[in-house]
Amino acid sequence: MAPVELRLNGLCKRFRDVVAVHDASLVIRGGEVLALLGENGAGKSTLMRLAYGMVRPDAGHIEIDARRVRFDAPRDAVAAGIGMVFQQFSLIDTLSVRENLALAWPRAPWWLGRDARRPGALDAHLARLVPGVDPRARTGDLAVGVRQQIEIAKVLLREARCVILDEPTAVLTPAEAGALHARVRALARDGFAVVLITHKTADVRACADRVAVMRAGRVVGEAPAADAADARIVEWMVGVAPAPAAARPARAADTPVRLSVRGLCAGPVRDVALDVHAGEIVAVAGVSGSGQVALAEALTGLRPLDAGQVTLDGQALRAPGRPARPVAALAAIPADPRRTAIAPSRSLAVNLALKRLAVQPWRVRRAALEEQARAPIARFDVRPPDPRRPAGTLSGGNLQKLVIARELQGDPTAVVACYPTMGLDVVATAQVRDAMLTLAANGCAVLWFGEDLDDLLAHAHRIVVMFDGRLVADLDAHTATPQQVGVWMSGHAIAPDPLRQAA
Amino acid sequence: MAAADALLTGLPVSTLRGATPLLFVLLGECLTQRAGRINLGVEGQMLVGAAAGYGVTALSGSPALGLAAGAAAGALLSTVFAVLTVAVDADPFASGLAVWMLGFGVSAFAGTALVGLRIDGWMPWAGGITPTIALALALVPVCGFGLLHTRTGLRWRAVGESPEHARAAGVTPWHYIVAGVLVGGVLSGLGGAALSVDYTRTWAEGMTAGRGLVAVGLVIVARWNPWLALPAALLFGLAEALSLRLQAADSAVSAHLLHTLPYLASLGVFAITCARLRRRPGGGAPAALGALLAR
Ligand SMILES: Nc1ncnc2c1ncn2[C@@H]1O[C@H](COP(=O)(O)OP(=O)(O)OP(=O)(O)O)[C@@H](O)[C@H]1O
Ligand SMILES: [Mg+2]
Repeated sequence: MAPVELRLNGLCKRFRDVVAVHDASLVIRGGEVLALLGENGAGKSTLMRLAYGMVRPDAGHIEIDARRVRFDAPRDAVAAGIGMVFQQFSLIDTLSVRENLALAWPRAPWWLGRDARRPGALDAHLARLVPGVDPRARTGDLAVGVRQQIEIAKVLLREARCVILDEPTAVLTPAEAGALHARVRALARDGFAVVLITHKTADVRACADRVAVMRAGRVVGEAPAADAADARIVEWMVGVAPAPAAARPARAADTPVRLSVRGLCAGPVRDVALDVHAGEIVAVAGVSGSGQVALAEALTGLRPLDAGQVTLDGQALRAPGRPARPVAALAAIPADPRRTAIAPSRSLAVNLALKRLAVQPWRVRRAALEEQARAPIARFDVRPPDPRRPAGTLSGGNLQKLVIARELQGDPTAVVACYPTMGLDVVATAQVRDAMLTLAANGCAVLWFGEDLDDLLAHAHRIVVMFDGRLVADLDAHTATPQQVGVWMSGHAIAPDPLRQAA
Repeated sequence: MAAADALLTGLPVSTLRGATPLLFVLLGECLTQRAGRINLGVEGQMLVGAAAGYGVTALSGSPALGLAAGAAAGALLSTVFAVLTVAVDADPFASGLAVWMLGFGVSAFAGTALVGLRIDGWMPWAGGITPTIALALALVPVCGFGLLHTRTGLRWRAVGESPEHARAAGVTPWHYIVAGVLVGGVLSGLGGAALSVDYTRTWAEGMTAGRGLVAVGLVIVARWNPWLALPAALLFGLAEALSLRLQAADSAVSAHLLHTLPYLASLGVFAITCARLRRRPGGGAPAALGALLAR
């Protein structure tokens, strides 16, 4: 395979009044991993969508191996050997894994057979790249990590020479991210050009050869990864050195229980019992697919309970058969906000008001909603800060900020946050984390589902570990080590249930 | 005993004959919806198909030519829907109603010239099967295998699930949406022609009597699956055959009420299916159909 050279020359793209990409130039070379960084809304996804033909540039052009090309649709980019894994994925949930691959395979025979089972090459390809996955499984039922591997398998199936990955590690646990890094390195070794969009300097350290940084639609800097120190990259991205992380608030002893979970069963979650006290931050850890997301869904009302009950300050919150209404006192930050927490075609103002519909006057005035939206938008720096824009046009990180801004406004007495900093840049991450710490300091109960153990151990008071749908450990975060937690997460530690023991 | 005999002899063939026009339309609408559009205009497309089919058969004396003309007329009318919903991006429900009214008007106007014409239709083969019935039955596996076993079918379904994701996979969604609407036009036109040329062998204004809309509902019963379109259509055909026989047998029930029997039966199965879908959401509905409602 001849190494490819993809040149983006002076690309511009505006969406009505918003300039997403402005005169951006970038060279992407075969055999090299290019890390593309930049703050939320900098234009990283849009630039790569231009390179993949998803959107057409207003100005500028693209060259492949010194030949000028024009992409009218992804079909053309695919034919030119470019493949992309989107921030929000592009697998079709209702089709099987095999059908998703067949859909993307240019050499798929016309006759595929039931569930695309005739071309044996698909199963062989899957077995090589995503071992252990059932080719007949409905894609929507699979864990995020697996879905991502399938996305990559799909891109490779198309014989792409240039692979673009848009924030692939945002949803992965450190172990899964490690596997991804290894795969990315292997691709570069085989001559592929890889673009990795990310907010994590760990990704840069683990697998990048070169870094490029975007800001306000332009590529503002490029350097070999070895020369770019973490602090320097961050400064490039956001223009300031990041503030040091805040310390976890001290916790008064003997505060009352706020959020109480008893005997909760819901889908993969089995018999979970948990108390979160006022002012306490409890972290939930687990390898992906251990049932954490399902537990968060059950607590936030996205998943019906099979048994058990949840109370908030002594009031019933969730129970089997009980309708799941949004509760003002509970801030719920779900794992997949684009799918479950926003109305994409409605404005930012309407989306911010969704939880307070019951207290709106009978005749809702748009101007009033827009006025109310200004404070939360400013607080979490949602960009562009125009309350009238449809929420669906926000960049991945800004959408996450919007949901957090809505949920944390008012005075919630409890927070259930599932991967709250997913896709956020360093500044926004610090902001969200500080907001949660402040809430806890003021007596709020915080339940924080996260993927980064160091982060969880540094900020939580207590860390509970899920394995196979059960809570298997309940540790003091001040003294627990990542190794200790890791052992529990892997399910190797065999010990009596600490919760039972305490009771 | 004799009454029961009169009710039951030849019932399977009568059922098939009654089911055939609906089966065409049902298959067509199933394919249209699988590409992500709901076309309420099928009723109008059936009507122009019925009028064109009857007229051409009467003029040429060939029922085969009549069926072809019906298919062409249905396809022609469905291009209106395709242009409205794909090129102009108009609301699919309003566009469907517009096409329905257009088809009703055009067929009523052209139909005045058809009154008094006579056609002979096909002599049934042994067992009462006509070429129309055979064609409809043959289309079930064609659509079933085509949609579920081929690359074209896979892309077709992908577009119905998510045009955006299908585009990312290198498919051009509007090709499939237009194809879906046109195939629906051809099949509903055929269904209309089958009704006037082969089943009733008459022309009457508004003769489809809501069969097109029944098809739109029965697509849900058939779970958007061409194979299941067959039992769904047969159910309607059976109810219709029974209602006709009960009327002929001078039953005590009013003929007007008996006329509603096939529609009542369809409504019943429809309600049961929907109640079951409530418990198991999704149930095969192409996801892009939901997006149409959410606009
Ligand atoms: N379809 C669209 N319509 C309107 N504006 C858009 C659209 N897509 C992107 N934008 C705007 O373009 C800008 C850049 O967005 P983009 O998604 O490229 O950012 P990003 O760098 O990927 O950010 P993040 O890290 O948050 O994913 C944002 O301000 C966004 O609101
Ligand atoms: Mg992005």
